[in-house]
Amino acid sequence: MGIPVHAPKFESDLLKPFYEGLAEGELRLTADTETGEWVWYPPEMVSGRPHATLEWKKASAEGTVYTYTTVIRSLLPGDHKAEVPFTVVLVEPDDAPGCRVPGLFVADEGVAAVCDMRVRLHPVQAGDHVIAGFAPIS
Amino acid sequence: MKAGTIAITGVGETPMVRASQQSLLEMTVDASMMAIADAGLKPQDIDGFVVNRNSHSADELGFALGIDKRPFSAITDTVGGTGPTASALTLALLAIEAGLARHVLVPYGFQATRPGGPYGFHSREPLKADLEMPVGYFGQPSYFAAMANRYAHEYGLSEEELASVSITFRKWAELTPAAQKRDPMDLEGYRKSPMISTPFRVADCCLMTDAGAAYVVSRADEARDMAQPRVLVDGLGLGTTRWPHSMMFTQAPSIFDFPGRESAKPAFEMAGVIAADLDCAQIYDGFSISALVQAEQLGLCGEGEGGKFFHAGHAAPGGKMPVNTSGGHMSGGYLPGITLLIEGVRQLRHQRDAAQVPDATLCAVTGLGGNSHATTILRRG
Repeated sequence: MGIPVHAPKFESDLLKPFYEGLAEGELRLTADTETGEWVWYPPEMVSGRPHATLEWKKASAEGTVYTYTTVIRSLLPGDHKAEVPFTVVLVEPDDAPGCRVPGLFVADEGVAAVCDMRVRLHPVQAGDHVIAGFAPIS
Repeated sequence: MKAGTIAITGVGETPMVRASQQSLLEMTVDASMMAIADAGLKPQDIDGFVVNRNSHSADELGFALGIDKRPFSAITDTVGGTGPTASALTLALLAIEAGLARHVLVPYGFQATRPGGPYGFHSREPLKADLEMPVGYFGQPSYFAAMANRYAHEYGLSEEELASVSITFRKWAELTPAAQKRDPMDLEGYRKSPMISTPFRVADCCLMTDAGAAYVVSRADEARDMAQPRVLVDGLGLGTTRWPHSMMFTQAPSIFDFPGRESAKPAFEMAGVIAADLDCAQIYDGFSISALVQAEQLGLCGEGEGGKFFHAGHAAPGGKMPVNTSGGHMSGGYLPGITLLIEGVRQLRHQRDAAQVPDATLCAVTGLGGNSHATTILRRG
């Protein structure tokens, strides 16, 4: 399995804390400052509460695969032929059900991702940046 | 809105091609001229425009078509297949009912091969650029492939069942001279189609097409004496969700539960019919899984039975409920939504030669675009 190398754009600082968390081995998601409820992805405005503010909180590193796909032909801009195949998973952390974190599936050869598979955060070095990765809990 | 107030009186489209030498404006204008002529009208007879926010404006098109008086112009604010398949008809109906226009032109053009391609707008979404693209989750084939895997987990879906969607539409394309992809394809041929993002092969995806298309909407009573057999708009429905494009492929409670039931219900109620009354359906097939789910949502089969419905041949030529009788967007050509509506009109006019559904009088057309979904019921009469 390959590793896609496509750095985040960071046109704003909005998502930087997510990557700072990964660098420290933590999964950090956004939550409503007032109610503490998870709000993920962090939208420009919270749905129905446009003046709500968000804060970053540590989420469970363990979770469940909601869905997955193995990319054989990458449609990312640029040439990514050398990086395929790789498997993308959408993972719901245990303490943030319904919030789905996209990540790279990290597993031994022959282990396939499936829905409802139990996984643990496993950040992956991709070029000069770290991306979210998830490995099966054996 | 009342059933049978308006009729689609003219249709036209330019050839569905991979990379056109024509500009988007040229293709849209050519298609508009064809639709106007098909209705037996002249450009000056057009007094209303409903354009899409992603296409050329009524100002530009009015100039190109040489139309001076344009008392009604509107823009649909739904994207992809939803705009021309119901939003535009709703606006045309309101304008005609209010006496603001007699003949409304709905033009649409699309260039899948333009710079950036059909994926470009996703890369401009900051959430996708920062959260999804770094892990390689990018492009509609991957989003819909992930949907298919979740659907398969919840309901079961074999490779043969998924393949039967593409194979069905290809069979219809074989009967359609203007279809973009007509070479026969069976299960073996499907399996030779290159894999893009599991379980999706190229054959599970809509085509890359450059083309223009247009139709004319007229008052139903005027349509009785116009050039073509009358095709009435009997039902219109629009369903939406709150999820923006940046989040709908990951964060919606169910990523494949399009608002199709929400659009079908008002459309059937307005028309006073049920799904079992339909003679055929044209279903927005951006991808095999989305066509399969929409067939369920339209009521052609039960929830979770879409795979079995297609695999049994019900949607194929000679089947009990023909679907995408011009090859749809996966084999016919991808001009979002509007070509499906045009095919519905031609079926009800009985102009489809080898692909004609016998005695077709009632056809549903669906559209899917972003977080919106449209259902239109057309009736010959």
